[in-house]
Amino acid sequence: MAVIQVNDLTYAYPQGRSVGPCSFTVEKGEFLHVTGSSGCGKSTIARCISGLIPHIYHGKMTGEVLINGRSTLSTRMWELSELAGFVFQNPSMQMLGNTVEEEIIIGLENLGLDRAEISGRLEESLGRFGLDSLRGRDPQTLSGGEQQKLALAAITSRRPPVLVLDEPLSMLDVSAATELTRYLSLLSRSGTTVIAFEHRADYLSSLPGVRVMALDSAASVKFSRRRASASCPDCKCGAKPLVISNICVNAGKTRILENMSLTVQSGSVTAIVGRNGTGKTTLLRAITGLQPFEGSVTVNGKKPDFGLVCQNADLQIFNAAVRSEILYRVNNPDMKLYARLLEILGLGRYENTPPLILSEGEKKRLALATVLIRKPEHGVLLDEPSLGQDAAHKHTLMELCAEIASTGKTVILTTHDLHLASMADRIVVLGPDGVTASGRTEDILADDSIWARAGMFVPGWITEDERKGITA
Amino acid sequence: MKQDAYGMTGALSISESSPLRKVDPRTKLALCLAASLAVMLPLQKVAVFFVLYFMFLAWARLLPGALRQIWKLKWILAVLFVVDWLVVSPELAVVVTLRLVIVAGVFAMFFSTTTPSELCLALVWMRVPYRYAFSLGLSFQAVGHINSEWRKILEAQKARGAFSAPSGWRYPVEQVKNLVSLTVPAVVLAAKRAWSMTEAAYARGFESPNRRPYKALLMSRADWFIVSGAAFIFILILSWRLP
Repeated sequence: MAVIQVNDLTYAYPQGRSVGPCSFTVEKGEFLHVTGSSGCGKSTIARCISGLIPHIYHGKMTGEVLINGRSTLSTRMWELSELAGFVFQNPSMQMLGNTVEEEIIIGLENLGLDRAEISGRLEESLGRFGLDSLRGRDPQTLSGGEQQKLALAAITSRRPPVLVLDEPLSMLDVSAATELTRYLSLLSRSGTTVIAFEHRADYLSSLPGVRVMALDSAASVKFSRRRASASCPDCKCGAKPLVISNICVNAGKTRILENMSLTVQSGSVTAIVGRNGTGKTTLLRAITGLQPFEGSVTVNGKKPDFGLVCQNADLQIFNAAVRSEILYRVNNPDMKLYARLLEILGLGRYENTPPLILSEGEKKRLALATVLIRKPEHGVLLDEPSLGQDAAHKHTLMELCAEIASTGKTVILTTHDLHLASMADRIVVLGPDGVTASGRTEDILADDSIWARAGMFVPGWITEDERKGITA
Repeated sequence: MKQDAYGMTGALSISESSPLRKVDPRTKLALCLAASLAVMLPLQKVAVFFVLYFMFLAWARLLPGALRQIWKLKWILAVLFVVDWLVVSPELAVVVTLRLVIVAGVFAMFFSTTTPSELCLALVWMRVPYRYAFSLGLSFQAVGHINSEWRKILEAQKARGAFSAPSGWRYPVEQVKNLVSLTVPAVVLAAKRAWSMTEAAYARGFESPNRRPYKALLMSRADWFIVSGAAFIFILILSWRLP
């Protein structure tokens, strides 16, 4: 019997954007992986299944969604929350508790469980997701990956028969993502129906018994295996490397980076990878001078000029239209570059659209355009640029990075996405003690001992081709 | 004090070392109520209460935090003091200033030793419906994020070069634009956070009639001691006949 039935579902937001129609069914214990290009409506459908649409959204919904034969239209929201648990895309915005423990307890209290049962489930969840040592911490002070785990713990502890996940892997490092997919597979085998809306397909496709459903044709675009650039290997454009010497960064009493030294070649794309909480974002902030540090960060002996694209694009966007956003306070803008940015970043049709109504992926690309239009002298830094991006856009992004690098500039990106990292020229692996290794991508990917030291591994689906950097 | 990777405080600056941290939130609410009533007293009694109250804050290891909060109000206090002095009398200037300082200290005491969930429990005990108590607790929690979010926005705007225009009072239009570049994302983020939290609450069964609280409030001996001590002092001050 189908646990989920979606019949001719359409939904139109009050702002005009619409999704559907779509119909599908999901059987009990099935693991469904839903793919689709950025902005195709994955999050909207996830909200329809969980009942948030139509209960707290007031757009126009037609068709119906049935969970265990009960329509989401006529069932109360708190009852639906017991039938289908929903894990959101951006966990940091949805933390309700003042501590990690409280975050889990809130959902359990609403089930009407007694104290002993809540205690038992709390301990089990903390243990399963490795949150034991963080139980007293404020959720807002956790890293993105830790928050993602906490969001999962809070929902799975309620043991809903259906679990709906919107981009559950986006913030997780390779180990955590692999661990989570295994756990989801286990849940599915034990009878829980799992529906994951996820761009990072490889983690899920490697699991047995996962059904894939594409919401649009663009979802079937395979990630290109082409190396980003082999540009400027013996750089003759005169650009000097970025030299990071013995930098130390503290946050309160916690030391985030300790005596870290690193040289990043100009004219290259460098990917910084590492487990959640190893200081990747902190390093980027130190390079731009936003983060106070001890030590030195220089290019040719001087303070560098890098543009930074933040993880959360909402922090950088405020104008009334995409055009004015990109050209904001740019003196003598290069309109050729502007037109090219619109084209390659897929923003052409949104030129006069208010940025705030773009999808998360589109906003991210817009934030990148606002930085690139300024042509920062030494290059750009991208903090988790692949979050919310589909394969086609990741490919475009790396092409763009290669183009920037070919002009002698430095491109540094932090990522959990090893596909993306495998397309960079160089990889820096951050471990618990700072830089574990730094070198050419093929060398780093081929050396398992490096990954082991950083508490990570290269999954099997990063093929031998990618390890050797064979171009498509 | 909790800090994130930005070196900023998290949702709340809870003073874990204060003996009031373990005190029942209802006791602290009672203390707040007593202090709020005490500010209505005449100058001499307010002055005595002021001294006793700040001795109490010192005992509770909350004096530095309370002084920081009061320091933030320095301009308001100074303006009120001068205006009251010039328009009415020096006595009124002193009493109004003392009252405001006490009220600021009371809030500092309560919010630096009480978490939003404890506040929620106390409100529910006071028969405030759970949905309002929970929402109030969440709002109280979210206020703590505003400062850190503001700084993140400032950094992000600097990083994209939005603050490239000349600064200073001679460029008022540029200053207004700078303010817009900070305010719009701040408002958007606050609205998104509020909406996301609403979604998260509903996705976890908010408004379920079956809800059973995990934690329960419990008045300990220390609580009764503090409440009765405060009541005794309050009555003593009230019954003190001024010459």
